[in-house]
Amino acid sequence: MGPWGFVFLAYGIVWAVVLVYLLFLKHRLSQVATELERQRTSEDAASRPRG
Amino acid sequence: MAQIEQKGLGRRILGGLALLFVLLGLYVALVQAPPDAYQGEVQRIMYLHIPSILVAYLSFFIVFVGSCLFLWKREKRDDTLAYAAAETGVLFTGLTIVEGSIWGRPTWGVWWTWDARLTLTAILFLIFVSYLMLRSLIEDEERGALCGAVLGIIGFLDIPLIHMSVYWWRTLHQPPSILRPDKAPWENIHPSMLLALAINLVAFALLYFYLLSLRFRLGEMREELKRIKLYGGP
Amino acid sequence: MALFRQTTWLLWKDLLLEMRRRESLVSMFFFAALLLFLFHFAFEFSTERAAEMAPGLLWLASIFTGTLGLTQLFQAERENHCLEALLLSPVDRGALYLSKFAFHLLLMCLMELFTFPLFGVLFNLDFWRLLPSLGLFAFVGTVGFCVLGTLFSAVTLKARARELLLPLILFPLMIPVILATIRGMEIILRTGELEEALPWLRLLIGFDVIFLTAAFLIFEWVIEA
Repeated sequence: MGPWGFVFLAYGIVWAVVLVYLLFLKHRLSQVATELERQRTSEDAASRPRG
Repeated sequence: MAQIEQKGLGRRILGGLALLFVLLGLYVALVQAPPDAYQGEVQRIMYLHIPSILVAYLSFFIVFVGSCLFLWKREKRDDTLAYAAAETGVLFTGLTIVEGSIWGRPTWGVWWTWDARLTLTAILFLIFVSYLMLRSLIEDEERGALCGAVLGIIGFLDIPLIHMSVYWWRTLHQPPSILRPDKAPWENIHPSMLLALAINLVAFALLYFYLLSLRFRLGEMREELKRIKLYGGP
Repeated sequence: MALFRQTTWLLWKDLLLEMRRRESLVSMFFFAALLLFLFHFAFEFSTERAAEMAPGLLWLASIFTGTLGLTQLFQAERENHCLEALLLSPVDRGALYLSKFAFHLLLMCLMELFTFPLFGVLFNLDFWRLLPSLGLFAFVGTVGFCVLGTLFSAVTLKARARELLLPLILFPLMIPVILATIRGMEIILRTGELEEALPWLRLLIGFDVIFLTAAFLIFEWVIEA
């Protein structure tokens, strides 16, 4: 593998990993956000006075 | 709600700036900067490697600060910060090792060598990993935060001692060899290379803080979720 | 003063338990001896090579045996709610740390007193003259091991997979101790004197002092959780 090969290997791995981690974080964030919304709306419904 | 909007905006700006500098950094590192006189093109990996290791140490420092604050004030936010910094720290330390290894192969002919820098980075990685394992294996949240803080503090205090012992070990016993001596890469550096390094440093720092803020936000939202489930309110 | 008295009481309690049941000490002896046997099967070496590898093998055997002992360190307190009882009493948490640290230090020193000569016999090493200096290094290193080992034994007390987690946490932190002790012993075996090994000894003593203080202060938060 020529010198540029090593360079692109290093850069490739770094940015691929960073991208994957970023997407993973965003995915988790949206998961928790929807869960929070669900909890809040169900709690609002429960605490709304009846009648 | 307005407060959350504001927080989101700050993060988005940070992310945008990070992206800008990352792209700029890529350009100067791969196109504009000249190849090294001795190492050739492979030296460009240093524009990744040096910022990575600096960010990794910064991360460890943040874990330390968060741990100290948590032990002192017992506010959950500090623990969330420490945990977030540990996770991002593992990421960047792991990347540092991979970059160092890839740089080492054409330079030294081997994928791994037990020189002081690589060894120290590997030890840092192991400590980070042990932190994450500790947090995930302790079921009680409060105890987990406390124990994590203890490890964060002791680990940080240990770092200078680990440095000393590893450097002595390597300099006192390494016979003269064809391997390059442990010279800091920023000695005898050409100005345009310094510029490329500086830009990439900024890029990595911005990127790191962006990822940290995301991970921190995730931690805080999980806390809020737990509070709502347990107590039915903030 | 009160701290010293409480520490000695608690230490005496552990010693009494150990003398009656002898579970930790005897198993540590045999485990260390077993490791030395395995090392002999694992590495084919002449007497010269044995001298080179002796510090590393001896110290690794110590560390592994010590780690096993650490997982048992708070075992007595886990049974019958002893720990809660201790914490309810006005005993200084620092005294609990110091007594456990001293107890494990004692166990390990006894184990090493047995293991080092055994190593010399099994591997035909003529290092009897050097045993005091080697012992000094081993002692200071063992102190370093016990200082952090006791703290993290308490930290991992209620964690899952604690037998795996404890070494995972402890070993990276132990690297200065491992390096310094082995290099120091190696220099003593090679040159026959303590002189060249002094920097390593100073590092070890620094490690011991720093972390004994830190662990002593931090321990009370750990054990209360």
